[in-house]
Amino acid sequence: MLTSLYVEGDTFLHRQRPGAKLALILVVGLALYFTGRMAVQAVAMVIAGAIYFSLPMTVREAVYRLKPVLLAIAVLGLINIWLLSPQEAAVSTLRLLAVVFLAAAVTATTRIGDFMETITWILQPFERLGIIRAADVGLALGLVLRFLPDIFAHYEGLKEAHAARGIAFRPLRAIGPLMILALKDADAIADAIDARGIRGDVSPSNGERR
Amino acid sequence: MDIRFSDCSVKFKTHVALHPFSLVLSERRIGIIGLNGSGKTTFAKLIDGLVKPTSGTVTVNGLDTVKDARAVLSAAGFIFQNPAQQLIMPQVMEDIVFGLKAHGLAQVEAEARAKAALARFGIEALGPRRVHELSGGELQLAAIASVAATGPDILIFDEPVNQLDLKNRKRVVDAIHALPESAIVISHDLPLIEDFDRVLVFHEGRIVFDGLPAASIAHYREIAGC
Repeated sequence: MLTSLYVEGDTFLHRQRPGAKLALILVVGLALYFTGRMAVQAVAMVIAGAIYFSLPMTVREAVYRLKPVLLAIAVLGLINIWLLSPQEAAVSTLRLLAVVFLAAAVTATTRIGDFMETITWILQPFERLGIIRAADVGLALGLVLRFLPDIFAHYEGLKEAHAARGIAFRPLRAIGPLMILALKDADAIADAIDARGIRGDVSPSNGERR
Repeated sequence: MDIRFSDCSVKFKTHVALHPFSLVLSERRIGIIGLNGSGKTTFAKLIDGLVKPTSGTVTVNGLDTVKDARAVLSAAGFIFQNPAQQLIMPQVMEDIVFGLKAHGLAQVEAEARAKAALARFGIEALGPRRVHELSGGELQLAAIASVAATGPDILIFDEPVNQLDLKNRKRVVDAIHALPESAIVISHDLPLIEDFDRVLVFHEGRIVFDGLPAASIAHYREIAGC
C-alpha cells in the first residue's frame, strides 16, 4: 500500500534543495516544450526514467504510484495518434513521460514540509501584491501530497468491498464513492486545520463550520 | 477553566442541532455522553469556536469564541475522532513542529517544544515515525501531543478511545487522566468518565442531565433503554 509520496533515502536528489529541484523541472519542461526532436525527447525520457527508477523503492511501487498518470498518458497518446500523426504523438508522449518521471522523482525525494516552505517562499512576491496568500498555497500543496496516499487507500478499500460482495470492480464506478470519501476527508481535515490554528484568519459563520 | 454559554443555540439550516441553553463549566474533568446525533460534537465544537452559535454567546476563559477566535484556539485544543486526519505532516515530529511554527515559534524552539511534548507522553520513539505506520493508540497519543504542545489550558476530546484495543485504550485513558490541563471528553466509553467531576447528558439537542458521573450514566442508560 502506498503510505507516503516521500521515499526515505540519501540519494543525490535527496540532498538537493527543493527550490533547485523545482527549477530543474521548470527548465527541463520548458526546454522539452520548445523542441520537437524525437531523439531529444527520448533521451530526456530515458534519463528521467532512470533517475526515478533508481530511487530506493521497488520497481513495482515506482510503477504503482504513477499508474493513473501513465494510463492517462497512454490514452492521450492514442488520441494523438488518431488526431495528429504517429510521429507527433510519440514526441508528445515522450515529453510527458520525461516530465512526469522527473516530477515524480522530485516529489519522492522532497519532504512535504520543505516543499511547503519553498512554495510559500517562491510565492511571497504575489502575496505582497495582494494576489494570493502564499502560506495557503503552500499548505494546499502540502495537503495534496500528504493525503494523496489516503485516496489510494480508499480506492483499494472500495476494490476490497466489491470483492467481498462478489461484485466485479470497475474503476469508473469508483469515481463517485471516491469523490464522496475525499470530500468527507477534506471536511475533517479542514476542521483539524482550523482547530490547530494552522491558518491565521478565523471567522466562523452562523451555525456552520468555518 | 471558565467556559460560559449564554442563551446559546445552534441551527444548521432547518435542523436545530442545539436548543437554547445557558451553562457554566469550570470543573477539571467534564464528560459528555449521549446517543449518536444528540448534539455532543456540535457542543464541543462550540467551545473551540469551530461552530458559531446561531444565537447567544460562548466565552472561554473570558474570550469570545467568535470575536477572539484565534485566541480561543490557543486556549482550547481539540482532538478529533480520527487522529490520522488531524496529523497533517507525514512524520509525527514534523507535524508537531509544523503546528508550533504555525503558532509563531521559530524552528529551533518548535523542535525543542515538540521533543518535550513527545517526552511528556512517553512517545519519544514515535517522533521520526510516519503517521501511516502508527497503531490507533499511537496515533491518538501523537495527536494529543501535537495539540498539547501548543500549550492550551483546555483539551477537548471527541471519542478518544473509539475503536482502540484494550492495551491502546489503557494508554490513552492513562494519558488523559494524567493531564494537568482541564479536559472535556465526549465518550461512548462510560468507564472512561466514571471518575470525572461532572458529566453532561445530551439528547435530541438538549442537555437533559447534568451531574455526577454515576447519576448521569444512569440517566443515559435510561434514555438508551439498556
